Amino acid sequence: MEGLMAFWSETGIANFSGGQLLMMAVGCLLLFLAIAKGFEPLLLLPIGFGAILANIPNAGFTEEGGLLYFAYHVGIETGIFPLLIFMGVGALTDFGALIANPKTLLLGAAAQFGIFATLLGAIALNAVPGFEFTMQDAAAIAIIGGADGPTAIFLASKLAPELLGAIAVAAYSYMALVPLIQPPIMKLLTTKAERAIKMEQLREVSKKEKIIFPLMVLGMTILFLPAATPLVGMFCLGNLMKESGVVDRLSKTAQNELINIVTIFLGLAVGSKLSAEQFLRIETLGILVLGAVAFSIGTAAGVLMAKLMCKLSGGKVNPLIGAAGVSAVPMAARVVNKVGLESNDQNFLLMHAMGPNVAGVLGSAVAAGVLLAVLG
Amino acid sequence: MTSISEQLSDALGIMIMGMGLVFTFLSILIVGIGIVAKLFPAPVAMPSQPVPSTSGQPALDPKLVTAITSAIHQYRAK
Repeated sequence: MEGLMAFWSETGIANFSGGQLLMMAVGCLLLFLAIAKGFEPLLLLPIGFGAILANIPNAGFTEEGGLLYFAYHVGIETGIFPLLIFMGVGALTDFGALIANPKTLLLGAAAQFGIFATLLGAIALNAVPGFEFTMQDAAAIAIIGGADGPTAIFLASKLAPELLGAIAVAAYSYMALVPLIQPPIMKLLTTKAERAIKMEQLREVSKKEKIIFPLMVLGMTILFLPAATPLVGMFCLGNLMKESGVVDRLSKTAQNELINIVTIFLGLAVGSKLSAEQFLRIETLGILVLGAVAFSIGTAAGVLMAKLMCKLSGGKVNPLIGAAGVSAVPMAARVVNKVGLESNDQNFLLMHAMGPNVAGVLGSAVAAGVLLAVLG
Repeated sequence: MTSISEQLSDALGIMIMGMGLVFTFLSILIVGIGIVAKLFPAPVAMPSQPVPSTSGQPALDPKLVTAITSAIHQYRAK
């Protein structure tokens, strides 16, 4: 009988707290979104599962010595996982469209307004009782507007580790929601005639240009913004491995096996941060709201900048491509293409939108570097 | 605890500086891409070069043709 009592006191049923059950429900919701709705399944599935594992009573996954503890400690606290992912993203990115039309870098820059406007918004939220965001917290939340998962996780792990779970979940959820968030804003800010504008075909880009590009970006980061070199450096390494064409094996590993392995552990480690005491707070609600605001403002700023470029160029730029400036590669570019096709079924904007899209990745890495340099 | 208005003005400062830096950085990059594009012109220029050369010279150099045919013969004879 005594043995049975001892067994009972060790079961999950006897030890559950309400918060843990609720967080398991959140984990299940993430699993549902990933499996049934196809929302960023590569990340939301391990994150959701990690959230369930992290909230099992007596399992000790997140205590010192546990698997999730080490995954977080080794990979996220040090910033290594997001950086390895960024290298893989670099190896997957083709800068051809951007080099062919470098002016689209301005769209990627304009869309970063979402980040900095949200910084202001997060601080303003302190006026509401219950919220106490420091400037570091606000910056980590604001980077959700960069629509770039690894950048958001990297910055959050450096500036506001206690908010990391909520920030990562918000960033990936909104990236999955780009097809719902962006089109209404894009349509609101453009006329039908503007959306139907056809753009000139892009020029060919030589191999040398593509090889020099990552080196040039790295050189500029070294000179002007060393705080961004972890992100930009790994990104450029991945891209150079791809474009140089001499290390196909490394490039393939970076864009397949390595990024996949890291994604599993990154997801689990982020999920481990979804513990009841860290996630079930009023701040999480604020982060979710601010994240949506950041995305919307970024999209709007990109479209408005593209409108300006359209006016200045005499109607050669379709303002829709500005919306792709909020990275979220390649989802945002696909959304632009789709909205463009709705106005003119002969108008294929995908390649034109890839320029601002990859510019957005660079832009958010630079913005993250600025925030790190000022607040880190 | 600093007042909210003070924090807001700090945040506004970061916003203006941040946007300025992002724009400056990417604008310099635009210039850089432009310079690299001038130094290493894209292959588009290449197809335009052979066209005038073939129209300028009505046929291939006969010496070249004989050299090529003999080379082919030698290769096939292997």
